[in-house]
Amino acid sequence: MGTADLALPSRPERTFSPGTLARIYGEFVRVGFVNTIAYRLRYYTGIVTYFIYVSVYYFIWKAIYAHSASIEGFDFSHLLTYVAVGWIMRSFYYNNIDQDIANQVLEGKLAMDLIKPVNPQAMYIAQALGESVFRLVMLTAPTAVVLLLVYPVRRPASGWHLVAFLVSAVLSFFLVAAINFAVGTFAIRLKSILGLLRAKYFLLELFSGLLIPISFFPHVFQVALAFMPFQYISYIPVLLYLGKISGLGILRALGLQLFWVTAMIALGHGLWTWSSRKITIQGG
Amino acid sequence: MHPIIEVQDLTKEFRTFRRREGVWGALQNLFVRERITIRAVDRVSFSIQPGEIVGYIGANGAGKSTTVKMLTGILVPTSGRIVASGYVPYRDRRHYTKHIGVVFGQRTQLWWDIAVVESFKLLKEIYEVSDADYRERLGVFSEILGLKNYFNTPVRKLSLGERMRCDLAASLLHNPPLLFLDEPTIGLDVVAKDRIREFLKEVNRLERTTVLLTTHDLSDIEELCKRIIIIDRGKVLFDGDLREMKARLAKYNQVKFFLKDRSQVAALARITTNGISCERLDDLTYLMRFDREHYSNADIIRNIVTTLEVSDILVEEEPIEDIVKRIYLSGEVA
Repeated sequence: MGTADLALPSRPERTFSPGTLARIYGEFVRVGFVNTIAYRLRYYTGIVTYFIYVSVYYFIWKAIYAHSASIEGFDFSHLLTYVAVGWIMRSFYYNNIDQDIANQVLEGKLAMDLIKPVNPQAMYIAQALGESVFRLVMLTAPTAVVLLLVYPVRRPASGWHLVAFLVSAVLSFFLVAAINFAVGTFAIRLKSILGLLRAKYFLLELFSGLLIPISFFPHVFQVALAFMPFQYISYIPVLLYLGKISGLGILRALGLQLFWVTAMIALGHGLWTWSSRKITIQGG
Repeated sequence: MHPIIEVQDLTKEFRTFRRREGVWGALQNLFVRERITIRAVDRVSFSIQPGEIVGYIGANGAGKSTTVKMLTGILVPTSGRIVASGYVPYRDRRHYTKHIGVVFGQRTQLWWDIAVVESFKLLKEIYEVSDADYRERLGVFSEILGLKNYFNTPVRKLSLGERMRCDLAASLLHNPPLLFLDEPTIGLDVVAKDRIREFLKEVNRLERTTVLLTTHDLSDIEELCKRIIIIDRGKVLFDGDLREMKARLAKYNQVKFFLKDRSQVAALARITTNGISCERLDDLTYLMRFDREHYSNADIIRNIVTTLEVSDILVEEEPIEDIVKRIYLSGEVA
């Protein structure tokens, strides 16, 4: 066998045009949406669940504010709004990409993702986007209506703050999706990552600022969290809504959020590439 | 003609840990783990011409599925070379998979909770199939496979046979020149199997689609394949024409005969001499196996009819199952 026998064909040229890519991943958004319809019952109960979450925090914070009019610059109406808007946002950006990948690995179905001529990261995120669009209509909108009717939630600080908040909420979705994809790729090497997923779940709730505003954290934590992407999931978008960030600060906040989205997508891509050489598929 | 698949010295090793047994073993496992390397595919080489249907068979754990997963770009080989349809599968996965169809009998590539036709629409987009082609192919497939009735049913509500037919249609929507099937008839009833085989023959005839299939059901092979590759413990044991394999490796012929009545049973002992075994299938039916080199069919039949009163006689070649079983057990083609 001469070396000529071992010659491999040259790499194919990139032939995926932007229009084609938009159509392909648009299809995944659609399927993500349609797929979620099968579980619509879950979202009716979700409205109740989110209402209960916000109510629990309403009473906790009410008890705390009984002793002081303002904490770290938040009066009670700000804090109530912070909690309500945070959970309303969460009902939109939430997804289970990490668990989906873990399940695919455990059930030996990762192969079915790989036989398709698509980028798995874009595929998972596009399907999650379809799901989030569904959630927006079936969960976020009704939850927001209920909460606004029951609790004295403040209106956005200004029209511009509302626009910035909406842009930021969309970026939040991509940030969470990118983080979840990156975490999910660990399943490829580690197989069972249920423990990791639980830890991630709680860390994300805490460090995103969903449970407690980041400014209430000890100073050391605040400094550390400034170098991490998590507060751009919930804390920063809600500050935009409340008008606690203004002027050029708005652009800076959105810019940093965009930076973290890009960084997490790059991280997920790298982790996937690193893991996929080690794929073993169980059974079959 | 250029081969459509060329495989050279393909090897896949998995690294894993040896597990010790018992409580003490489990404790030891926690601290000291012994690494072992399992060679699932061991320097496999073959090439396949366009339009061939090749059966890739072997016992459980022989390395069939691992080979298919490397050929489809899912697994990265440890060493060796694969070129299929002009691509290196694992390296060019996203481009390569546009030109192949893949069906894993135990899994579905369709979306579990949505109507079959929704999955088809998505595949149409990702494989960039034109509207006209899509309509035409779907029409042909649904006619041969009988899909019409459950286009709007979610996959989770389909029976295994129905799901399998949908998966097969899905894998061929983009008319790939190359089709990989990993146990496509597993768990299916006779009618469903037959339908799928007929469909594959039709596709191969009309489109000259090259097919590589793994199976445990050797009737799949006899129905579909001219050529088989037998793999055992990761190594190729046999690669060649199915009929040639039978001629070369069949050791015995068998005669099935039906006794006229029970009084004949006592006389049976007289016809079994050395090199001839006789097995009772039921009250009056017996199966006799004899070495093809030592006895001719005529000898045996003459012997039976002169010694016994029989109502019927059937001469058969050694079934392919038996030949293959012998190969699996001995691990060699002798």
